[in-house]
Amino acid sequence: MQLSDFFEPYKGEIKEVTIGPSGKAVKLGGEQTLPFHAFEGKEGVPVRFALEVFDTPPEGWPEHLRSSYADVLSDPVAWADKCIKQYGADLISLYLSSLDSENADPAKIAEKVKGIADHLSVPLIVLGVGDKDKDAKALVEIAKVCTGKNLLLGPLVKENYEEIAKAALEGGHSIIPQSPLDINLCKELNVKLAKFFPKERVVIDPLSAAIGYGIDYSFSIMERVKQVAVIHNDEMMKAPMVANIGKDCWKTKEAKEDKTQGILWEALTAFTLILAGANLVIMRHPESLKLVKKLVSGKE
Amino acid sequence: MILIGENIHILSKVVSDAIKARDEKPLQELAIKQANAGADYIDLNVGPARKDPDVMKWIAGVIQEVVKKPLSLDTTNPVAMEAGLSVCKIPPLINSASGKQESKEKMLPLAAKYNCDVVLSVLIDAGIPTDSSSRAEAIMETVAYANEIGIPNERIWVDPIMMPISVDQPQVVELFEFMKILQDICPEAKSTLGLSNLSNGTPEHLRGILNRICLAMLDRYNCFSAIVDSFDEELVKLAKGQLPDIKNLIYRAMDEEVDTSNLPKKEADIVKTVNVLMGRSLYSHSWLET
Repeated sequence: MQLSDFFEPYKGEIKEVTIGPSGKAVKLGGEQTLPFHAFEGKEGVPVRFALEVFDTPPEGWPEHLRSSYADVLSDPVAWADKCIKQYGADLISLYLSSLDSENADPAKIAEKVKGIADHLSVPLIVLGVGDKDKDAKALVEIAKVCTGKNLLLGPLVKENYEEIAKAALEGGHSIIPQSPLDINLCKELNVKLAKFFPKERVVIDPLSAAIGYGIDYSFSIMERVKQVAVIHNDEMMKAPMVANIGKDCWKTKEAKEDKTQGILWEALTAFTLILAGANLVIMRHPESLKLVKKLVSGKE
Repeated sequence: MILIGENIHILSKVVSDAIKARDEKPLQELAIKQANAGADYIDLNVGPARKDPDVMKWIAGVIQEVVKKPLSLDTTNPVAMEAGLSVCKIPPLINSASGKQESKEKMLPLAAKYNCDVVLSVLIDAGIPTDSSSRAEAIMETVAYANEIGIPNERIWVDPIMMPISVDQPQVVELFEFMKILQDICPEAKSTLGLSNLSNGTPEHLRGILNRICLAMLDRYNCFSAIVDSFDEELVKLAKGQLPDIKNLIYRAMDEEVDTSNLPKKEADIVKTVNVLMGRSLYSHSWLET
């Protein structure tokens, strides 16, 4: 008799989502068990990590974060290269900070994104600023201009998911639908998307919060999403999840006031949400990345 | 199942305007319409009525002029409650008392004094209990207190407090669990609940199906009554046992996983709704579309 004889196999398998064009693609998800429960069922691909790059020089970053990128902050391509080659990012998450300026031109932004995507050796995530109209305009344009590059585009919210998803579908990209810390609304958006968008190209964002700033809500919801998908086999919830934590961690006063504290804040926020079920984590500080990778793999 | 008509409610503009103007006509019409639609009790929700506790006396008076149904006096204000109780010709239902200290001291004794039935909710000073066993614990204490002051179980209508499914789906499942054990913990007690709160937050056009199917499920768990929208014709029919086919399908879906792929849409919708209410599938506003 073996230990596994006592386990009932889980019914639901998280969809395996492929980001990036062939040759430099990265897969996410694919597990048929709960996080770190390898003894109960098939584990998917390992958790993937993206580092953030801004398309305009970021403002308000503390020196102990800024210094890791001081030489590349105004050059997204060099910045991304540094994240990949020096810091070991599996993917790059490009934050379209330029959308915050008055005269942002979606066509120009899209061309710039294409240049970055072409140059990189890893897949590209492209994230808007969270303004439903600005994001929609830019992401639709980017989806067109970058056809075939299989970017991961987001966030899609209930007010703009239709137009962005349609463009992503035509351009052959994957998407990140985002819901406001509410599992029922998360499912709602997935149901609506599933009517016209392939489930194999969806990574959901139930919204992440940092330690001390509501991570318990994020944890509960991500945990429930994973349970509903894996244990209850809910067709609409079997998507990999993303935890986009850099922004929320580095705006906390705890992360800003001290280097070690900031790195730990981000690494432990990441690790906590990986325990809850995140398949992809978007981070900011290379040392937090290093630390959490070490925690997850158990290797030095 | 006994139906308490909820349609005279202070949150309705027609009702609040009529109350303010002391214009009995629209209120009497609503009461007559509800009685004709099949309501067994007419609920009179006047809100807390802090500035105007006599309103209950007036409204109970004008309503009982036109309908011969018992009234359900719905206010949290004991002064308004007593004003209403003093004029009722048919013994009314006190809606409601709870396990909160203030309610135990001021509202519950009115049921003993006027010898009438009383809705007793699971609410306690610590708030609304969040699972079936804490509901049980709360209600047992409150019922014991009610017994002590002379109100027997059969005059108590236990209200387990329905929560919106769109806010907290597991609570609906907990409520069913509580209904299953209620007769064991409070023998002979009756029960009732505000059914429509279940679909609070759900898109308007989908509220009916959720309410109706939940009511049939509650009926099966021996729920004695519910406070409902009297003008939902199908709901009233279902509660009065006039739609046996639908009821049987609901019961079957409760007992086993029914495959919806070959069912006509109306029946598939029923099964999907049962699955959501039983907590088998995760609720979303588009639960019928999956």
